[in-house]
Amino acid sequence: MKQHHHGLAWPRRDPNEQVACHFCDAIQAAPRIHEGDAAFCGHCGELLYQNRPRSLSRATGFASAALIFTVLAHAFPFLTMKAAGSRTELSLIGSSMALADDGYPLLAALSFVFTVIAPLVLTGGLLYVCAPLQFGRALPGSLALTRWIQRSEPWSMLEVFLLGFIVSLLKLGHVAEIKFEIGLWALVALVLCIAGAMAGIDRRELWDRIEIALHRTQTTES
Amino acid sequence: MAAKPETGFAAEQGLASCHTCGRLSPAELGHCPRCDTPLHLRKPQSLTRTWALLLAAVLFYVPAMSLPVMNVSGIGGGENSTILSGVVTFWEMGSYPVAIIIFTASVLIPILKILALGWLCLAAGGKLGGSAKALAVTYHITELVGRWSMVDVFVVAILACLVRLGSVMTITPGPAALSFAAVVILTMFSAMAFDPRLLWDQRRGSPIPS
Repeated sequence: MKQHHHGLAWPRRDPNEQVACHFCDAIQAAPRIHEGDAAFCGHCGELLYQNRPRSLSRATGFASAALIFTVLAHAFPFLTMKAAGSRTELSLIGSSMALADDGYPLLAALSFVFTVIAPLVLTGGLLYVCAPLQFGRALPGSLALTRWIQRSEPWSMLEVFLLGFIVSLLKLGHVAEIKFEIGLWALVALVLCIAGAMAGIDRRELWDRIEIALHRTQTTES
Repeated sequence: MAAKPETGFAAEQGLASCHTCGRLSPAELGHCPRCDTPLHLRKPQSLTRTWALLLAAVLFYVPAMSLPVMNVSGIGGGENSTILSGVVTFWEMGSYPVAIIIFTASVLIPILKILALGWLCLAAGGKLGGSAKALAVTYHITELVGRWSMVDVFVVAILACLVRLGSVMTITPGPAALSFAAVVILTMFSAMAFDPRLLWDQRRGSPIPS
């Protein structure tokens, strides 16, 4: 049976749970809320949590699309430049490698983490955790992986890379003949999909669902 | 300021919200029962760590601004450009939007972020005032905006990857690129080390729980 009912509050193990506002620390009841609603702190007005519509299917869908675009963004260059009889290509890994070749291995490693590893952990991790959650299951390692997803979120900087790409184009100006390639459109789509996947699900909902799924696995096994 | 909530505050009752999953549990458990993250009433040594990382960021900001961020070598000889000289070049070329983007991302945002974190730390330590609303907005902007400063580092990486035409024109990264990345990373860690609940503890006059 499908465990995800649209329009309802997400399931929770403890119906009388209390939360403390992460901003002012005031304790309050944490009622279950319907899709599209949000709960705010009664003391300071901060957003406590929200129930995103169709959160699991959105996270799964955007994350799988993002993975496909990741493959495309790595398989094809973003642009090729012809100038002075030579031809160069731009890619995500190539721009990190260029930093390493020019004597900045540390900077290259950082750039690699920000543009390749962190986005991959985000999208792959969300797909691995959210897809089985739609059927009320949590695969082994979901707990650790969800912690890693949250940890890598601020370090995924593909959208910043995209802004850097635009600035670089303007900096190059008209000195060279520039041709856009498939990789660039894949990168644009990837940035949008990552944003969609991350905005798709509330942190508290994700953890409540993982907890329930793990509990169910434990009780059926014993 | 709103009245004291009837249910009280978590730290007064020895309850800690998990940094990762948000579950409220007794602090003496040590680890969150749901996701196994270590529990703290407040982020440990929040102010000290925020100040230390902030100071390191300020120190790195000096070489980031004064050293060349990239070297352009070519037929017309070599040329070093710093972040500021890049902004000036764009402005003189008439590319005002690019000049404004680079100036905002590389100069304005880091400075404002450092000042904002300093203000938050002083307010949390009780040395400076500020309305709760203003401090909350500052905190959120600080968290959100810092990563965009990395744009200059990516510009250097992209140009170094594309412009390698041997003796005609070759762009290589300069030492400021690394310093600048350090500034951005350190301010991001600094913002993560700051615990906004300290602002409210200060306001209520309650002792800062560890």
